[in-house]
Amino acid sequence: MNRKAKMLYRRLLQAAPIMVLATFIVFSLMQLLPGDIAVTLAGENASEERIAEIRDLYGLNQPFLVQYGSWLWHAVQGDLGSSLLTGEAVAETVTRTFPTTLFVVVYAIALSVLIGVPLGILAASRPGSPRDGFIMSIASLGVAVPNFWLGMILVLVLGLTLQLFPATGFVSPTEDFAAAVWYATLPALALSTGGIAEVARQLRSSLVEIHHSQHVRTLHAKGLSPAKILWKHGLKNVSVNLLTVVSLLFTKILAATVVVEAVFAIPGMGSAVVNAVLEGDFPLVQGAVLAMVVTVIVVNLATDMLYTVLDPRID
Amino acid sequence: MNNHDSRDSVVVEGIELSRRQFLAMLGGGLALGALGSPLSALAQVAAANGGVLRVAAQTNPSSMDPATGGSGSDHVFLYPIYDTLVEWDFATLQPKPGLAKSWTYKDPRTLVLTLQQGVKFHDGTPFDAEAVKFNLDRNRSDTRSNIRTDLASIESVDVAGPHEVVITLKAPDSALPMILSDRAGMMVSPKAVKEMGERYDRNPVGTGAMKFVSWADGAKIVCTRNPDYWKPERYPLAGIEFTIITDPATRLRSLMSGQADIAYHLGGRQLPLIQRGKGLQVYTDSTIYCFQIYLNYSRGPLQDVRVRQALNYAIDREAYVQAVLAGAAEPAYMNLPKSHWAYDPEVAKLYPYDPDKAKALLKEAGYGNGVKLDMRGYNDQATIQAEEVVLAQFAKVGIGGRFTNGTIPEMSAAYFARGEGDLILSAWTGRPDPSMAYGLMYSKNAYFNAGRVAPPEGFEEALAESRATDDIAVRKQALAKVQRLVMEHALVVPLAFRMDIVAAASHVHGYRNNLLGKPKFEGVSLKKA
Repeated sequence: MNRKAKMLYRRLLQAAPIMVLATFIVFSLMQLLPGDIAVTLAGENASEERIAEIRDLYGLNQPFLVQYGSWLWHAVQGDLGSSLLTGEAVAETVTRTFPTTLFVVVYAIALSVLIGVPLGILAASRPGSPRDGFIMSIASLGVAVPNFWLGMILVLVLGLTLQLFPATGFVSPTEDFAAAVWYATLPALALSTGGIAEVARQLRSSLVEIHHSQHVRTLHAKGLSPAKILWKHGLKNVSVNLLTVVSLLFTKILAATVVVEAVFAIPGMGSAVVNAVLEGDFPLVQGAVLAMVVTVIVVNLATDMLYTVLDPRID
Repeated sequence: MNNHDSRDSVVVEGIELSRRQFLAMLGGGLALGALGSPLSALAQVAAANGGVLRVAAQTNPSSMDPATGGSGSDHVFLYPIYDTLVEWDFATLQPKPGLAKSWTYKDPRTLVLTLQQGVKFHDGTPFDAEAVKFNLDRNRSDTRSNIRTDLASIESVDVAGPHEVVITLKAPDSALPMILSDRAGMMVSPKAVKEMGERYDRNPVGTGAMKFVSWADGAKIVCTRNPDYWKPERYPLAGIEFTIITDPATRLRSLMSGQADIAYHLGGRQLPLIQRGKGLQVYTDSTIYCFQIYLNYSRGPLQDVRVRQALNYAIDREAYVQAVLAGAAEPAYMNLPKSHWAYDPEVAKLYPYDPDKAKALLKEAGYGNGVKLDMRGYNDQATIQAEEVVLAQFAKVGIGGRFTNGTIPEMSAAYFARGEGDLILSAWTGRPDPSMAYGLMYSKNAYFNAGRVAPPEGFEEALAESRATDDIAVRKQALAKVQRLVMEHALVVPLAFRMDIVAAASHVHGYRNNLLGKPKFEGVSLKKA
């Protein structure tokens, strides 16, 4: 336990410089983007003088490092500022939109595991059989199909033609959990195809490898039933691999929500960030980046902690 | 509307419910638990009492304060919350009374407004001459105001009585009433602005039919009925809920699957889909938003009027509308669409599609072997498609060259402010009064006159004449002269007027498009079939 506490402590210490570095890089990149938020803020057909006045009003004509320093100084004190465009507090935008995005991501991961694991087991139980071939070719397709396209197809068939699920929108899970799940099903399904395929493929190859290992051969020889071998020894051994796949999936799906949120009109952080980047609304972009970095760090940390639980040999 | 005993009613979030409805709502909420939240039960009851209109809106507003906002797409959200001093006719944009019951020019430089009486802001502040003075002074002088130039012709605003305001002008300006139908005439509560300062941007208080409830950026704006509205018959709705969906295809889908009642700013290519959709109504009408090619006539071949005229003859506007806008637009032959009060059919006849005439004019100007132009545009997909069509039509008469594209702010600054390029394929978003539009596009030092070349002789005089009177017939004549000068000298190549394409579910009644192209839900009601 002492070891784990030490690791936790070390990792949290590393997190701070990562956050500063990430926000600094994003801030610098935003300086390179074409476009000028002062032009947007000044309104349609504004004169050059008005634009200059706006720059002055919002402190946009200050040197780049001064702007970043001022942002960082406030952020360290817990003040993330407000959106330049609309004045909504960044903390409010993030706490409103990020849980929405996370809900869809977690739902998609759950689907990936719930569908991917049985498929992987089915394929691995008879490697080389037609069943294995069929499942694996479907899985390859799942990796290859772009999720926004699949999203459109799902909307068309399940949303508009059959009207089984709502085609657009979102309900907050704190408000009404069942409705939230119902609304998030199509987007989560669209996001999970890649995940399902990856989980199934990884699980299959790991299981097949285990089946050929010496200790499984010994178990067979001792007369253990194949089912027992699978549940007690096989899956336990591949669980670390599975965990790695899932944690990688997390960042992948988090990134993919940007497009899927647009297709389903989900008011998540992806759409908020895209708009903020396009308009140069840097306080919002910084706040969102911070939230994502923290989340990824936490997920990675949790994964590493779980490794040690699943496999005592790891520390 | 309600035939139940009023003693038996409860008010939930501003909506009056009968006891039975209220119990049903509670019961529904409890019994259905997860499936039917109390909120959706509330929405169902609300539908029975006038209904909440669910709008699939195009974009997040820049501000809910008419003075500090800057985007033309804000008006949709502002109209229900604010009344304007002057209103416009939906079909022709002619001014008509609003919060100002009437207005008269005592002399060309003195405008007197007589105000509606008994009107109150949502926070209870009375709407009177003091409030109007506060608003106009704030709009024309506050550092955060984006509409100072709109009111630049005002010298002073004085309170002449509790319901009378006298506006003294620096120069005659009969466009002012129409300016007061836009942002500058939206009346905000002085008390709310003083109390909230910058926070007012997100907490609007007007006199309008709808009271503001909440705004979640990029997601939702909720308004509820103002029970004390001075013209209640205008908005029979119990509330309006805007869901912000930037992608037009998704906006339409949310309507088709029943998550919205009405969706606006849809594209021409979506028309067949809407028409095939079960039980959808569609409204397609021209607006004053004009796709056009701005010309810089201070440099290169475009200094020659014959070359500019050749550009106008070279464009087949009917084909342009078909190819670029899927047929859903009105071909533009001048800066105003057919239904506008100041439209002049004679000017519109100046440039029929005539490639031979274009070639002849180019030859006359010394470009018999063709002319090359440095063209500019924006890097969105729609603009690039339009550029391809324009290039093909130009090529037929020997006009060549290539387009350089960039983002809207970047390219606009390069072309309009720094004078780079010979022309730009862009658009004019429209102004409530046409005299504003012409002044902003063609006067010598106007921002949109990229070459800063003086307009043709007689232009400024005719423009001033159009502003010196509020007699609509005289104004129309003066503006026709202005428009004729612009087109005869070919200062612009108008292409097409954007059509406002709005689709609504069959239970939506009374929606009308307007010429300004900014949807206003006045008169809309919901009836379940």
